[in-house]
Amino acid sequence: MTPPSWLGQGWLAPHYLGWLLHGAAMTAALALCVSLAATLLGILLCAAQDSRQRWLRWPARLFCSLHRNTPLLVQVLLWYFGAGGLLPDAAMQWLNTPHQWALPLGFSLGWPPFEWLAAWLALSLYSACFISAELAAGLNTVARGQRLAARALGMTEWQIFRYIVLPQALRVIRQPLLGQYTAVIKNTSLTMAIGVAELSYTSRQVESETLLAFQAFAVATALYLLLVIATQLAGSRHAAEGRIR
Amino acid sequence: MKTPSLLLALTLLGTAGHALADRLDDIKKTGVLRVAAFDSNPPFGFLDAKTHQISGLDVEVAQAIAKKLQVKLELVPTNPANRIPLLVAGKADLVAANFTVTDERKKQVDFSLPYFASGQQFIARKGSLSKPEQLAGLRVGVDKGTTQEIYLREKYSKTTVVAYDDTPLAFTALRNGNVQAISQDGSKLAALLANAPDKAKYELAPFTLTREYQAIGLPKGEARLTKVVNDTLLELEKSGQARKIYDRWFGPSTKAPLPRDFKIGDAV
Repeated sequence: MTPPSWLGQGWLAPHYLGWLLHGAAMTAALALCVSLAATLLGILLCAAQDSRQRWLRWPARLFCSLHRNTPLLVQVLLWYFGAGGLLPDAAMQWLNTPHQWALPLGFSLGWPPFEWLAAWLALSLYSACFISAELAAGLNTVARGQRLAARALGMTEWQIFRYIVLPQALRVIRQPLLGQYTAVIKNTSLTMAIGVAELSYTSRQVESETLLAFQAFAVATALYLLLVIATQLAGSRHAAEGRIR
Repeated sequence: MKTPSLLLALTLLGTAGHALADRLDDIKKTGVLRVAAFDSNPPFGFLDAKTHQISGLDVEVAQAIAKKLQVKLELVPTNPANRIPLLVAGKADLVAANFTVTDERKKQVDFSLPYFASGQQFIARKGSLSKPEQLAGLRVGVDKGTTQEIYLREKYSKTTVVAYDDTPLAFTALRNGNVQAISQDGSKLAALLANAPDKAKYELAPFTLTREYQAIGLPKGEARLTKVVNDTLLELEKSGQARKIYDRWFGPSTKAPLPRDFKIGDAV
């Protein structure tokens, strides 16, 4: 099987595809963890910004504008390289040495490398601020009368937010939220700067070993596309179920 | 049939001998040895700000060769791309410009014995890394897409390799505790360490994983000139002069100390 001439040097050897798939799995795992943490934190941030307590409202707004208005790459570098200056030496050494805990049935739980933790933290904080903005937009669509009625029933502010407003807002912002999750998938590529072995990182590795630039980056592009499409499909199926219900 | 072939052989030998003799005799006749050297690659060859002369480790080796030949030394400034053309076109008699011996280059020029060696080395915290076996289980920072990255991944599978965009960033990761060592070409690491504010905490590990040899480049087929150059280099080592030259540029008291682990005449 000879490759077409426009491909130049030929195909990637199978084990390089294995590297790329491993990178894609890393990307998916990181994006999933980031999305979960960012959603939870985003809800808290939105609630805080919506709060009538000034000491909650202002720090939350400051936090969001700080994260939304600086480049994500700088934040990733800051957490990775800055943490060493903030944390004591012993803590950094513990974080940087591999740890394994044995679980029953022969499984074991490994502590992720520090690159991974820094990437997770930076991406989660950044994405949470965007998610909180989406949520705030959704909350604005909930009619004012809903809150007043809930308050008349004697619900607390938190109960109103949790049981009355948030469920309605979430339904409205389902599509934009999905967009944020696909942005998370794409933003993980920036973490290659701190050595996270995700898809962009592995595609660079494959490129530097094989010099097959087009092949390496084309496969990476296709894998990113697959991840994003899978997310969109899962999201829209969920939305359809919601409508039927 | 025997006589013509013998005659032919003799004739060939004669012309070859004549060609070989040319360059060394020319140098002696004109009294000038022209050596191509770097003018902006310290400490191998660079324009000294005080004396306005090209100086450096390579230049001192060239001076020794000129002294041995009892001729005047004329330095020809060069850069990496110019070295072979200068030699092939006869505009320089020798190249002394951190010239790495490669099979590809051997097709176009001849090389003397190596007088300098470099290779993949490591910076780690003082006292933490002294032999290659200790690399297993360590996290080592490298530059993305370099031969060092590939070599470590292939030969030291128990080492965790973390790739960064450039060497200064990898060094930041080391100082930050994210990796326990970083790896690059030894002379680059020495220069990097020289400029670090907390260099007292770190050191160059005293071993080299891969080898690259730097030698004097000569025009092809100049056997007599090559012999003089090799003899000079061996004498430099024997008299201790080679170590003195090395220490002047890479010794413990210099800005970028690099342990000397190669002697002229060592097996290559």
